Amino acid sequence: MDLKNLFKNPVLLGYNTLFAVLFILIMGYLCGGDYEHMSDAYQYYGVSFMIFGMLEGAMTASNCFMERDIKKPNLRIIYSPVGPTAVWLSKLTASFLFDYVLHLLLLAVLCPSLHITLGLHPLYFIALMAPVEFVSAAFGIFFCCVFHCEETTSTLLSTVISIFGFLGGTFFPTDGLGRTVALLSRFSPVRWLNDAFFSLACDNNSSYVLPVLIGTVVISAVLLGGCRLLFKTEDYL
Amino acid sequence: MRQYLRYNHLSARSCRGQYTLHKSTGKINRSADSLFHRPQYVSAQEVNEVDTIITVSSLAKHFKEQQVLNGISFDVRRGEILCILGPNGAGKSTTINIMTGVLAKSSGEISFNGQPVEQQLRRYKQSLGIVPQDITLYEELSPEKNIAFFASLYGLHGKALKKAVDDALVFAGLEQRRHDKVKTFSGGMKRRLNIACAIAHRPELVIMDEPTVGIDPQSRNHILDSIKKLRSQGMTVIYTTHYMEEVEAIASRIIILDKGSIIAEGTTESLKESVANERHYTIEVEENGKIPEEKFYTIEGVKKVHLEGNTISISSIRGIENLDQIIALLTENGEKIRNITSETASLETVFLKLTGRTLRD
Repeated sequence: MDLKNLFKNPVLLGYNTLFAVLFILIMGYLCGGDYEHMSDAYQYYGVSFMIFGMLEGAMTASNCFMERDIKKPNLRIIYSPVGPTAVWLSKLTASFLFDYVLHLLLLAVLCPSLHITLGLHPLYFIALMAPVEFVSAAFGIFFCCVFHCEETTSTLLSTVISIFGFLGGTFFPTDGLGRTVALLSRFSPVRWLNDAFFSLACDNNSSYVLPVLIGTVVISAVLLGGCRLLFKTEDYL
Repeated sequence: MRQYLRYNHLSARSCRGQYTLHKSTGKINRSADSLFHRPQYVSAQEVNEVDTIITVSSLAKHFKEQQVLNGISFDVRRGEILCILGPNGAGKSTTINIMTGVLAKSSGEISFNGQPVEQQLRRYKQSLGIVPQDITLYEELSPEKNIAFFASLYGLHGKALKKAVDDALVFAGLEQRRHDKVKTFSGGMKRRLNIACAIAHRPELVIMDEPTVGIDPQSRNHILDSIKKLRSQGMTVIYTTHYMEEVEAIASRIIILDKGSIIAEGTTESLKESVANERHYTIEVEENGKIPEEKFYTIEGVKKVHLEGNTISISSIRGIENLDQIIALLTENGEKIRNITSETASLETVFLKLTGRTLRD
């Protein structure tokens, strides 16, 4: 039911598909001159925006969990014998699957059309996306449990993710912006994920895969525990 | 040859599950109903003795500094419609939210079929059907899909689910609109569907929190008739409202709640009996305060006076015609009267007698 509701949401569908495509096309075209080949620009923005999009999945999760119109029918789930853990866990799973499927579809469309490469082993790239998407969804649910409100969560997460995106080089590479920015960018998870995914896609270097995997598993476990502790059924009233 | 055994799930009166014993194999098969611990109902007539389904003991709730429920106690008898009547802010919804498990209580106990709810939470929730005050439906889906989804949360699937959905749609009078999206429905239809989603899994106890808010009188009457139908099928109903007309139409028993406390309990007749000998006047004046309260008590028959804002509420002994004296007192002291209403025994007068305020204040 949660997955169905997500796929029926035109705003979320549009943001995760059309907006992503437009952003990659426009930024790739505008910044094509900074690269040796136009395809390199599309390669850069294709991968970096995919990572940014994965992190934005946190807002899909918060929307699925506590958006005002969803909260009311979800109250019936709280009334039922399924238990409160099933409530937030099903939202988390649905938003993870929703974002993952859409991003895979995007890759399926963009890779052949814009000559975006995922490296010698595209399956590694695709497999590494899964834990990142999951952590992102878990973040969205966790912050909803903390703030008890979707609006506050979305506002905060959107600001934080945008800052991380900027520092991580989603909108343009930050390496040439000086030592301070370069130092600050090391604190952005988008930067680490960019390093991992670009290493896979462009250098066929999978040395970052295991650290990313371990990091996402640990963070997921912490966030799931936090959700279990912090979620209160009265937040749905 | 088969023999049918009686399986007493809860008590001999409350539940019958269906077991078939195959003599040749010695195996016992359970029917679908008892697998979900779904009891067969006894009708209201079959309840020969008081059989309590829910007991609430000393239930209290406070939010930071504010005490919302002051240790209320009541029980709900099987097969009855218990109405909780009270003005806005009395604590009705808080009571319901605690009983449904959404809100944590500060203290007190709730027992279901004699056992604390905490010891049997899953079974308790399985036996509940809840109609919240808000419309809690997926607007982008059809009523059929809404009912099917919510009923599936209670363990229904396959043919049993389909039958439950069909029965619920017939109950709500929405079978012709089963495939239309809920967002195209009127308010009354949404309210009916709200109820259908709560009863599709045939709960033992249905709790309704002001289910007729904001709908037209025709839809309201349809809903009240549906509730009487539920009772005739043996379901127990807890119904909260601040509309006396609804209470008078359906209640077996009434609890009047005000400011977090139970101020009266009984049947409609017994409560009205307490004010049967009284007549109540509500007088609206232009500017109150010109006459002290004590002066009204000098008029024969006046029992209770309450001055609030521009309204003077007077309870008087029925049979003593003293309205002209009351009017004379007001006009002699320069009060300009805007409106006078007079009532005999009603739940409104019961509430007024107990609190000094009208239910709609």
